[in-house]
Amino acid sequence: MTEPAQVTKEEFRRLAEFLYRRTGMVFTESKRYFVERRISDRMAATWHASFSEYFAHLRSGAQSEVEHLINAFTINETYFYREDHQLECMSKDLLRERTLVKPPGDTIRIWSAPCSTGEEPYSIAIWLLENWRQVDTYNIEIVGSDIDTRVLKAAAEGIFGKRALMRLSPDLVARYFHPLDEERWQILDDLRLSVRFSRVNLIETKETRLEGRFDVIFCRNVLIYFDDESRRVAAENLYDSLLPGGYICLGHTESMSRISPLFEVCRFSNAIVYRRPREKIA
Amino acid sequence: MPLIRSSPTKPPSPQEGTETIERDLEHGTDDQRWDAARAAAQLPDGLRLLRRAMFVERDPRIREAILTSLARIGTPECAEAVLPDLRSDDSRLRAAALDALRAMPAAAAVHLPALLHDPDPDVRLLACDLVRGQPAAAAGQLLADVLARDREANVCAAAVEVLAETGGPNVLPLLEQCAARFPGDPFLAFAIRVAGERLGAQP
Repeated sequence: MTEPAQVTKEEFRRLAEFLYRRTGMVFTESKRYFVERRISDRMAATWHASFSEYFAHLRSGAQSEVEHLINAFTINETYFYREDHQLECMSKDLLRERTLVKPPGDTIRIWSAPCSTGEEPYSIAIWLLENWRQVDTYNIEIVGSDIDTRVLKAAAEGIFGKRALMRLSPDLVARYFHPLDEERWQILDDLRLSVRFSRVNLIETKETRLEGRFDVIFCRNVLIYFDDESRRVAAENLYDSLLPGGYICLGHTESMSRISPLFEVCRFSNAIVYRRPREKIA
Repeated sequence: MPLIRSSPTKPPSPQEGTETIERDLEHGTDDQRWDAARAAAQLPDGLRLLRRAMFVERDPRIREAILTSLARIGTPECAEAVLPDLRSDDSRLRAAALDALRAMPAAAAVHLPALLHDPDPDVRLLACDLVRGQPAAAAGQLLADVLARDREANVCAAAVEVLAETGGPNVLPLLEQCAARFPGDPFLAFAIRVAGERLGAQP
Protein backbone atom coordinates (compact mmCIF):
# COMPACT_ATOMS: atom_id res chain seq x y z
CA MET A 1 0.00 0.00 0.00
CA THR A 2 1.18 3.54 -0.75
CA GLU A 3 1.81 6.24 1.85
CA PRO A 4 -1.28 8.25 2.87
CA ALA A 5 -1.95 11.24 0.61
CA GLN A 6 -1.13 14.71 1.90
CA VAL A 7 -4.55 16.32 2.12
CA THR A 8 -5.09 19.70 3.78
CA LYS A 9 -7.99 20.25 6.13
CA GLU A 10 -9.77 22.34 3.50
CA GLU A 11 -9.18 19.75 0.78
CA PHE A 12 -10.50 17.03 3.05
CA ARG A 13 -13.61 19.09 3.70
CA ARG A 14 -14.22 19.57 -0.02
CA LEU A 15 -13.68 15.89 -0.74
CA ALA A 16 -16.03 14.90 2.09
CA GLU A 17 -18.64 17.31 0.74
CA PHE A 18 -18.22 15.96 -2.77
CA LEU A 19 -18.58 12.35 -1.64
CA TYR A 20 -21.60 13.18 0.48
CA ARG A 21 -23.33 14.93 -2.42
CA ARG A 22 -22.53 12.19 -4.89
CA THR A 23 -22.93 9.09 -2.77
CA GLY A 24 -24.42 9.92 0.62
CA MET A 25 -21.29 8.58 2.30
CA VAL A 26 -20.34 10.59 5.35
CA PHE A 27 -16.69 11.11 6.28
CA THR A 28 -15.72 13.21 9.27
CA GLU A 29 -12.23 14.29 10.32
CA SER A 30 -12.05 11.18 12.48
CA LYS A 31 -11.92 9.09 9.31
CA ARG A 32 -9.21 11.16 7.70
CA TYR A 33 -6.54 8.44 7.86
CA PHE A 34 -8.92 5.85 6.41
CA VAL A 35 -9.78 8.23 3.57
CA GLU A 36 -6.21 9.33 2.88
CA ARG A 37 -5.04 5.74 2.55
CA ARG A 38 -7.57 5.00 -0.13
CA ILE A 39 -7.05 8.30 -1.91
CA SER A 40 -3.34 7.47 -2.11
CA ASP A 41 -4.10 4.13 -3.72
CA ARG A 42 -6.39 5.76 -6.28
CA MET A 43 -3.88 8.54 -6.99
CA ALA A 44 -1.24 5.92 -7.70
CA ALA A 45 -3.63 3.94 -9.89
CA THR A 46 -4.58 7.01 -11.93
CA TRP A 47 -1.09 8.50 -12.12
CA HIS A 48 -1.88 11.71 -10.27
CA ALA A 49 0.95 13.20 -8.26
CA SER A 50 -1.03 15.55 -6.04
CA PHE A 51 -4.37 15.40 -4.31
CA SER A 52 -5.60 18.54 -6.06
CA GLU A 53 -4.91 16.99 -9.47
CA TYR A 54 -6.65 13.81 -8.47
CA PHE A 55 -9.62 15.70 -7.05
CA ALA A 56 -9.97 17.66 -10.30
CA HIS A 57 -9.97 14.31 -12.16
CA LEU A 58 -12.59 12.95 -9.78
CA ARG A 59 -14.83 16.00 -10.20
CA SER A 60 -14.45 16.09 -13.96
CA GLY A 61 -17.29 13.62 -14.23
CA ALA A 62 -15.18 10.55 -14.81
CA GLN A 63 -17.86 8.28 -13.42
CA SER A 64 -15.66 5.24 -13.39
CA GLU A 65 -13.27 6.99 -11.03
CA VAL A 66 -16.07 7.80 -8.61
CA GLU A 67 -17.00 4.13 -8.68
CA HIS A 68 -13.38 3.07 -8.17
CA LEU A 69 -13.12 5.36 -5.18
CA ILE A 70 -16.38 4.11 -3.69
CA ASN A 71 -15.13 0.57 -4.18
CA ALA A 72 -11.96 1.45 -2.33
CA PHE A 73 -14.08 2.61 0.60
CA THR A 74 -16.57 -0.22 0.64
CA ILE A 75 -15.42 -3.38 -1.07
CA ASN A 76 -12.97 -4.93 1.24
CA GLU A 77 -12.90 -8.65 1.52
CA THR A 78 -16.11 -9.43 3.29
CA TYR A 79 -15.78 -11.54 6.41
CA PHE A 80 -17.75 -12.98 9.30
CA TYR A 81 -18.86 -10.61 12.08
CA ARG A 82 -18.02 -7.56 9.98
CA GLU A 83 -19.42 -4.44 11.68
CA ASP A 84 -20.50 -6.62 14.58
CA HIS A 85 -21.73 -3.59 16.49
CA GLN A 86 -24.80 -3.80 14.25
CA LEU A 87 -25.21 -7.49 15.06
CA GLU A 88 -25.06 -6.57 18.72
CA CYS A 89 -27.63 -3.86 18.13
CA MET A 90 -29.85 -6.44 16.44
CA SER A 91 -29.78 -8.92 19.33
CA LYS A 92 -29.82 -6.32 22.09
CA ASP A 93 -32.23 -3.70 20.79
CA LEU A 94 -33.95 -4.45 17.48
CA LEU A 95 -35.24 -7.90 18.35
CA ARG A 96 -36.27 -6.74 21.81
CA GLU A 97 -38.50 -4.19 20.07
CA ARG A 98 -39.79 -6.68 17.52
CA THR A 99 -40.66 -9.29 20.13
CA LEU A 100 -42.85 -6.74 21.90
CA VAL A 101 -45.29 -7.15 19.02
CA LYS A 102 -44.67 -10.84 18.31
CA PRO A 103 -45.62 -13.64 20.68
CA PRO A 104 -43.20 -16.51 21.39
CA GLY A 105 -43.44 -19.14 18.69
CA ASP A 106 -43.88 -16.54 16.01
CA THR A 107 -41.34 -16.09 13.20
CA ILE A 108 -38.68 -13.39 13.09
CA ARG A 109 -37.63 -12.75 9.49
CA ILE A 110 -34.23 -11.24 8.69
CA TRP A 111 -33.00 -10.28 5.23
CA SER A 112 -29.42 -9.78 4.13
CA ALA A 113 -29.43 -7.91 0.83
CA PRO A 114 -27.01 -7.88 -0.84
CA CYS A 115 -25.54 -10.95 0.80
CA SER A 116 -22.53 -11.46 -1.49
CA THR A 117 -20.91 -14.85 -0.75
CA GLY A 118 -22.90 -15.44 2.40
CA GLU A 119 -20.72 -14.16 5.23
CA GLU A 120 -23.39 -11.73 6.42
CA PRO A 121 -26.44 -14.03 6.59
CA TYR A 122 -24.38 -16.82 8.20
CA SER A 123 -22.93 -14.28 10.64
CA ILE A 124 -26.46 -13.23 11.57
CA ALA A 125 -27.38 -16.86 12.19
CA ILE A 126 -24.31 -17.61 14.31
CA TRP A 127 -24.62 -14.36 16.23
CA LEU A 128 -28.23 -15.06 17.14
CA LEU A 129 -27.51 -18.64 18.16
CA GLU A 130 -24.70 -17.40 20.37
CA ASN A 131 -26.03 -14.11 21.70
CA TRP A 132 -29.81 -13.86 21.62
CA ARG A 133 -31.35 -15.34 24.74
CA GLN A 134 -34.76 -15.80 23.13
CA VAL A 135 -33.36 -17.72 20.22
CA ASP A 136 -35.24 -20.88 21.21
CA THR A 137 -38.58 -19.17 21.71
CA TYR A 138 -38.97 -17.85 18.17
CA ASN A 139 -38.61 -19.29 14.71
CA ILE A 140 -35.91 -17.40 12.88
CA GLU A 141 -35.90 -17.19 9.12
CA ILE A 142 -32.85 -15.74 7.42
CA VAL A 143 -32.81 -14.94 3.70
CA GLY A 144 -29.77 -13.82 1.74
CA SER A 145 -30.29 -12.12 -1.63
CA ASP A 146 -28.01 -10.72 -4.25
CA ILE A 147 -28.22 -9.66 -7.88
CA ASP A 148 -25.16 -11.78 -8.76
CA THR A 149 -25.96 -15.46 -9.24
CA ARG A 150 -22.28 -16.43 -9.02
CA VAL A 151 -21.93 -15.15 -5.47
CA LEU A 152 -25.24 -16.76 -4.56
CA LYS A 153 -23.94 -20.14 -5.67
CA ALA A 154 -20.85 -19.64 -3.52
CA ALA A 155 -23.01 -18.52 -0.60
CA ALA A 156 -25.13 -21.65 -0.81
CA GLU A 157 -22.01 -23.81 -0.81
CA GLY A 158 -20.82 -22.04 2.33
CA ILE A 159 -17.11 -22.65 1.88
CA PHE A 160 -14.78 -20.02 3.32
CA GLY A 161 -11.08 -19.33 3.67
CA LYS A 162 -9.04 -18.19 6.65
CA ARG A 163 -9.47 -14.49 6.03
CA ALA A 164 -13.25 -14.73 5.99
CA LEU A 165 -13.15 -16.42 9.40
CA MET A 166 -10.54 -14.14 10.98
CA ARG A 167 -13.01 -12.44 13.36
CA LEU A 168 -14.44 -15.71 14.66
CA SER A 169 -12.93 -17.43 17.68
CA PRO A 170 -11.48 -20.92 17.16
CA ASP A 171 -14.30 -22.19 19.33
CA LEU A 172 -16.95 -20.72 17.02
CA VAL A 173 -15.18 -22.07 13.95
CA ALA A 174 -15.03 -25.52 15.54
CA ARG A 175 -18.73 -25.47 16.40
CA TYR A 176 -20.18 -24.09 13.17
CA PHE A 177 -17.75 -25.25 10.46
CA HIS A 178 -16.03 -28.40 9.41
CA PRO A 179 -12.61 -28.29 7.76
CA LEU A 180 -12.34 -29.33 4.12
CA ASP A 181 -8.55 -28.96 4.08
CA GLU A 182 -5.98 -26.70 5.73
CA GLU A 183 -7.26 -23.57 3.99
CA ARG A 184 -11.00 -24.05 3.68
CA TRP A 185 -13.93 -24.59 6.02
CA GLN A 186 -17.56 -25.29 5.23
CA ILE A 187 -20.53 -24.17 7.29
CA LEU A 188 -22.24 -27.15 8.94
CA ASP A 189 -25.11 -28.45 6.87
CA ASP A 190 -27.74 -27.76 9.55
CA LEU A 191 -26.85 -24.09 9.45
CA ARG A 192 -26.06 -23.92 5.75
CA LEU A 193 -29.38 -25.39 4.71
CA SER A 194 -31.37 -23.20 7.05
CA VAL A 195 -30.44 -20.01 5.20
CA ARG A 196 -32.27 -19.48 1.92
CA PHE A 197 -30.55 -17.61 -0.90
CA SER A 198 -32.32 -15.87 -3.76
CA ARG A 199 -31.57 -13.59 -6.67
CA VAL A 200 -33.07 -10.16 -6.15
CA ASN A 201 -32.46 -6.81 -7.79
CA LEU A 202 -33.28 -4.19 -5.17
CA ILE A 203 -34.69 -1.78 -7.71
CA GLU A 204 -37.11 -4.33 -9.15
CA THR A 205 -40.30 -4.12 -7.12
CA LYS A 206 -41.65 -7.42 -8.43
CA GLU A 207 -38.51 -9.19 -7.24
CA THR A 208 -38.33 -7.62 -3.79
CA ARG A 209 -42.02 -8.34 -3.18
CA LEU A 210 -41.42 -12.05 -3.77
CA GLU A 211 -39.45 -12.15 -0.53
CA GLY A 212 -42.29 -10.91 1.64
CA ARG A 213 -41.85 -8.64 4.64
CA PHE A 214 -39.09 -8.70 7.22
CA ASP A 215 -38.49 -7.66 10.80
CA VAL A 216 -34.89 -6.61 10.12
CA ILE A 217 -33.06 -5.90 6.87
CA PHE A 218 -29.32 -5.59 6.50
CA CYS A 219 -28.64 -3.54 3.38
CA ARG A 220 -25.07 -2.39 3.69
CA ASN A 221 -22.97 -0.50 1.18
CA VAL A 222 -25.12 -0.89 -1.88
CA LEU A 223 -27.41 2.15 -2.08
CA ILE A 224 -24.38 4.38 -2.54
CA TYR A 225 -23.85 2.80 -5.95
CA PHE A 226 -27.25 3.87 -7.23
CA ASP A 227 -28.12 7.17 -8.83
CA ASP A 228 -30.72 9.34 -7.11
CA GLU A 229 -33.65 7.87 -9.02
CA SER A 230 -32.70 4.23 -8.41
CA ARG A 231 -31.92 5.00 -4.79
CA ARG A 232 -35.44 6.36 -4.28
CA VAL A 233 -36.95 3.27 -5.91
CA ALA A 234 -34.76 0.95 -3.82
CA ALA A 235 -35.67 2.83 -0.64
CA GLU A 236 -39.37 2.42 -1.43
CA ASN A 237 -38.87 -1.26 -2.18
CA LEU A 238 -37.06 -1.71 1.12
CA TYR A 239 -39.84 0.16 2.90
CA ASP A 240 -42.33 -2.24 1.32
CA SER A 241 -40.16 -5.17 2.42
CA LEU A 242 -40.28 -4.18 6.08
CA LEU A 243 -43.09 -4.96 8.47
CA PRO A 244 -44.41 -1.81 10.14
CA GLY A 245 -41.96 -1.12 12.96
CA GLY A 246 -39.26 -3.19 11.21
CA TYR A 247 -35.65 -2.01 11.02
CA ILE A 248 -33.09 -1.52 8.31
CA CYS A 249 -29.34 -1.39 8.92
CA LEU A 250 -27.15 0.42 6.38
CA GLY A 251 -23.36 0.61 6.07
CA HIS A 252 -21.55 2.79 8.59
CA THR A 253 -20.98 5.60 6.08
CA GLU A 254 -24.52 5.61 4.70
CA SER A 255 -27.52 7.68 5.73
CA MET A 256 -31.11 6.82 4.83
CA SER A 257 -32.20 10.29 5.91
CA ARG A 258 -30.55 11.69 2.83
CA ILE A 259 -32.23 9.16 0.55
CA SER A 260 -35.81 9.05 1.77
CA PRO A 261 -38.07 10.62 4.41
CA LEU A 262 -40.06 7.39 4.69
CA PHE A 263 -38.03 6.00 7.60
CA GLU A 264 -37.49 7.07 11.20
CA VAL A 265 -33.97 7.39 12.54
CA CYS A 266 -33.35 5.22 15.62
CA ARG A 267 -30.24 5.80 17.70
CA PHE A 268 -29.26 2.81 19.80
CA SER A 269 -26.11 2.45 21.89
CA ASN A 270 -24.34 0.35 19.27
CA ALA A 271 -25.68 1.67 15.99
CA ILE A 272 -27.88 4.12 14.17
CA VAL A 273 -30.55 2.26 12.22
CA TYR A 274 -33.76 3.19 10.41
CA ARG A 275 -37.30 2.06 11.08
CA ARG A 276 -40.43 1.81 9.02
CA PRO A 277 -42.93 3.80 11.10
CA ARG A 278 -45.55 1.79 12.91
CA GLU A 279 -48.17 4.27 11.76
CA LYS A 280 -48.27 6.31 8.59
CA ILE A 281 -46.28 9.55 8.56
CA ALA A 282 -48.40 12.33 10.04
CA MET B 1 -31.91 -25.48 15.75
CA PRO B 2 -34.47 -22.65 15.80
CA LEU B 3 -33.63 -21.53 12.29
CA ILE B 4 -36.31 -22.20 9.71
CA ARG B 5 -36.37 -21.96 5.97
CA SER B 6 -39.41 -21.08 3.90
CA SER B 7 -40.25 -20.72 0.25
CA PRO B 8 -40.62 -17.34 -1.38
CA THR B 9 -43.97 -15.83 -0.60
CA LYS B 10 -46.67 -15.52 -3.19
CA PRO B 11 -46.55 -11.92 -4.35
CA PRO B 12 -49.68 -9.83 -3.98
CA SER B 13 -51.72 -9.59 -7.13
CA PRO B 14 -50.06 -6.99 -9.28
CA GLN B 15 -51.99 -3.88 -10.07
CA GLU B 16 -52.49 -3.82 -13.77
CA GLY B 17 -54.18 -1.50 -16.16
CA THR B 18 -54.84 2.18 -16.19
CA GLU B 19 -58.38 1.86 -14.90
CA THR B 20 -57.44 -0.08 -11.76
CA ILE B 21 -54.53 2.16 -10.93
CA GLU B 22 -56.52 5.31 -11.64
CA ARG B 23 -59.35 4.09 -9.40
CA ASP B 24 -56.95 3.18 -6.60
CA LEU B 25 -55.09 6.47 -6.87
CA GLU B 26 -58.34 8.39 -6.45
CA HIS B 27 -60.38 6.25 -4.08
CA GLY B 28 -58.10 3.60 -2.61
CA THR B 29 -56.95 3.07 0.95
CA ASP B 30 -53.56 4.47 1.97
CA ASP B 31 -51.83 1.25 0.95
CA GLN B 32 -53.73 1.00 -2.33
CA ARG B 33 -52.84 4.59 -3.22
CA TRP B 34 -49.20 3.91 -2.32
CA ASP B 35 -49.13 0.82 -4.55
CA ALA B 36 -50.96 2.62 -7.34
CA ALA B 37 -48.62 5.60 -7.22
CA ARG B 38 -45.65 3.26 -7.52
CA ALA B 39 -47.24 1.21 -10.31
CA ALA B 40 -48.22 4.28 -12.34
CA ALA B 41 -44.62 4.76 -13.47
CA GLN B 42 -45.02 1.67 -15.65
CA LEU B 43 -48.12 2.89 -17.46
CA PRO B 44 -47.98 4.58 -20.86
CA ASP B 45 -50.19 7.37 -19.52
CA GLY B 46 -48.74 7.31 -16.02
CA LEU B 47 -47.83 10.98 -16.22
CA ARG B 48 -51.47 11.99 -16.57
CA LEU B 49 -52.48 9.99 -13.50
CA LEU B 50 -49.57 11.17 -11.44
CA ARG B 51 -50.12 14.84 -12.32
CA ARG B 52 -53.70 14.58 -11.16
CA ALA B 53 -52.66 12.74 -8.00
CA MET B 54 -50.17 15.50 -7.21
CA PHE B 55 -53.10 17.93 -6.93
CA VAL B 56 -55.23 15.87 -4.59
CA GLU B 57 -52.95 13.61 -2.58
CA ARG B 58 -52.03 14.95 0.87
CA ASP B 59 -50.39 11.92 2.52
CA PRO B 60 -46.61 12.62 2.56
CA ARG B 61 -45.75 8.94 2.12
CA ILE B 62 -47.89 8.61 -0.98
CA ARG B 63 -46.72 11.94 -2.36
CA GLU B 64 -43.20 10.59 -2.01
CA ALA B 65 -44.17 7.59 -4.15
CA ILE B 66 -45.80 9.89 -6.72
CA LEU B 67 -42.61 11.95 -6.93
CA THR B 68 -40.47 8.85 -7.34
CA SER B 69 -42.70 7.62 -10.15
CA LEU B 70 -42.47 10.98 -11.87
CA ALA B 71 -38.68 10.78 -11.56
CA ARG B 72 -38.76 7.29 -13.07
CA ILE B 73 -40.70 8.51 -16.10
CA GLY B 74 -38.28 11.42 -16.12
CA THR B 75 -39.58 13.63 -18.92
CA PRO B 76 -39.52 17.44 -18.78
CA GLU B 77 -43.30 17.25 -18.24
CA CYS B 78 -42.68 15.21 -15.12
CA ALA B 79 -40.35 17.88 -13.79
CA GLU B 80 -42.94 20.50 -14.70
CA ALA B 81 -45.52 18.67 -12.59
CA VAL B 82 -43.25 19.01 -9.57
CA LEU B 83 -42.33 22.67 -10.02
CA PRO B 84 -45.40 24.17 -8.28
CA ASP B 85 -44.24 22.58 -5.02
CA LEU B 86 -41.06 24.66 -5.15
CA ARG B 87 -43.34 27.64 -4.38
CA SER B 88 -45.17 25.94 -1.52
CA ASP B 89 -45.27 27.55 1.91
CA ASP B 90 -44.76 24.07 3.35
CA SER B 91 -41.02 23.44 3.71
CA ARG B 92 -41.57 19.66 3.55
CA LEU B 93 -43.21 19.99 0.15
CA ARG B 94 -40.42 22.24 -1.09
CA ALA B 95 -37.78 19.80 0.13
CA ALA B 96 -39.61 16.84 -1.42
CA ALA B 97 -39.90 18.64 -4.75
CA LEU B 98 -36.24 19.53 -4.69
CA ASP B 99 -35.26 15.92 -3.98
CA ALA B 100 -37.49 14.69 -6.79
CA LEU B 101 -36.01 17.16 -9.27
CA ARG B 102 -32.53 16.08 -8.22
CA ALA B 103 -33.54 12.54 -9.14
CA MET B 104 -34.38 13.61 -12.72
CA PRO B 105 -31.52 15.97 -13.57
CA ALA B 106 -31.98 15.82 -17.33
CA ALA B 107 -35.68 16.64 -17.06
CA ALA B 108 -35.00 19.41 -14.56
CA ALA B 109 -32.29 20.92 -16.77
CA VAL B 110 -34.88 22.01 -19.30
CA HIS B 111 -36.53 24.21 -16.68
CA LEU B 112 -33.44 25.62 -14.99
CA PRO B 113 -32.98 28.76 -17.12
CA ALA B 114 -36.57 29.82 -16.41
CA LEU B 115 -36.28 28.94 -12.73
CA LEU B 116 -33.11 31.00 -12.41
CA HIS B 117 -35.04 33.97 -13.84
CA ASP B 118 -38.12 33.39 -11.70
CA PRO B 119 -39.56 36.55 -10.08
CA ASP B 120 -39.52 34.77 -6.69
CA PRO B 121 -36.00 34.88 -5.22
CA ASP B 122 -36.72 31.80 -3.10
CA VAL B 123 -37.34 29.81 -6.26
CA ARG B 124 -34.15 31.16 -7.81
CA LEU B 125 -32.27 30.16 -4.68
CA LEU B 126 -33.59 26.58 -4.86
CA ALA B 127 -32.78 26.51 -8.56
CA CYS B 128 -29.14 27.28 -7.76
CA ASP B 129 -29.09 24.15 -5.63
CA LEU B 130 -30.53 22.11 -8.50
CA VAL B 131 -27.74 23.33 -10.77
CA ARG B 132 -25.36 21.32 -8.58
CA GLY B 133 -26.57 18.14 -10.26
CA GLN B 134 -25.88 19.36 -13.79
CA PRO B 135 -22.72 18.62 -15.79
CA ALA B 136 -19.90 20.90 -14.65
CA ALA B 137 -19.71 23.01 -17.83
CA ALA B 138 -23.45 23.67 -17.97
CA ALA B 139 -23.58 24.38 -14.25
CA GLY B 140 -20.72 26.87 -14.56
CA GLN B 141 -22.50 28.79 -17.31
CA LEU B 142 -25.82 28.93 -15.50
CA LEU B 143 -24.25 30.12 -12.26
CA ALA B 144 -21.96 32.62 -13.94
CA ASP B 145 -25.07 34.26 -15.33
CA VAL B 146 -26.61 34.38 -11.84
CA LEU B 147 -23.50 35.99 -10.37
CA ALA B 148 -23.46 38.58 -13.15
CA ARG B 149 -27.07 39.74 -12.97
CA ASP B 150 -29.16 38.52 -10.01
CA ARG B 151 -30.18 41.40 -7.75
CA GLU B 152 -30.60 39.31 -4.62
CA ALA B 153 -27.50 38.77 -2.53
CA ASN B 154 -28.93 35.55 -1.07
CA VAL B 155 -29.40 34.05 -4.52
CA CYS B 156 -25.85 35.00 -5.45
CA ALA B 157 -24.64 33.44 -2.19
CA ALA B 158 -26.41 30.21 -3.12
CA ALA B 159 -24.71 30.29 -6.52
CA VAL B 160 -21.36 30.96 -4.86
CA GLU B 161 -21.82 27.96 -2.56
CA VAL B 162 -22.45 25.63 -5.50
CA LEU B 163 -19.61 27.11 -7.53
CA ALA B 164 -17.25 26.66 -4.59
CA GLU B 165 -17.96 22.98 -4.81
CA THR B 166 -18.24 22.42 -8.54
CA GLY B 167 -16.08 25.18 -10.04
CA GLY B 168 -12.39 25.73 -10.53
CA PRO B 169 -9.97 28.69 -10.30
CA ASN B 170 -11.44 30.04 -13.55
CA VAL B 171 -14.51 31.30 -11.68
CA LEU B 172 -12.46 33.54 -9.35
CA PRO B 173 -12.93 36.67 -11.54
CA LEU B 174 -16.69 36.06 -11.54
CA LEU B 175 -16.68 35.94 -7.78
CA GLU B 176 -14.77 39.21 -7.59
CA GLN B 177 -17.21 40.90 -9.99
CA CYS B 178 -20.14 39.66 -7.95
CA ALA B 179 -18.57 40.94 -4.73
CA ALA B 180 -18.17 44.34 -6.38
CA ARG B 181 -21.93 44.42 -7.14
CA PHE B 182 -22.79 44.03 -3.44
CA PRO B 183 -20.20 46.11 -1.59
CA GLY B 184 -22.35 46.50 1.52
CA ASP B 185 -23.30 42.87 2.07
CA PRO B 186 -21.00 41.28 4.68
CA PHE B 187 -22.49 37.77 4.39
CA LEU B 188 -22.01 37.58 0.63
CA ALA B 189 -18.52 39.04 0.99
CA PHE B 190 -17.74 36.31 3.53
CA ALA B 191 -19.16 33.56 1.30
CA ILE B 192 -17.17 34.83 -1.68
CA ARG B 193 -13.97 35.07 0.36
CA VAL B 194 -14.34 31.49 1.62
CA ALA B 195 -15.15 30.22 -1.89
CA GLY B 196 -12.21 32.16 -3.30
CA GLU B 197 -9.85 30.61 -0.77
CA ARG B 198 -11.12 27.15 -1.55
CA LEU B 199 -10.98 27.55 -5.31
CA GLY B 200 -7.71 29.45 -5.22
CA ALA B 201 -6.09 26.57 -3.41
CA GLN B 202 -6.51 24.45 -6.53
CA PRO B 203 -3.77 24.33 -9.17
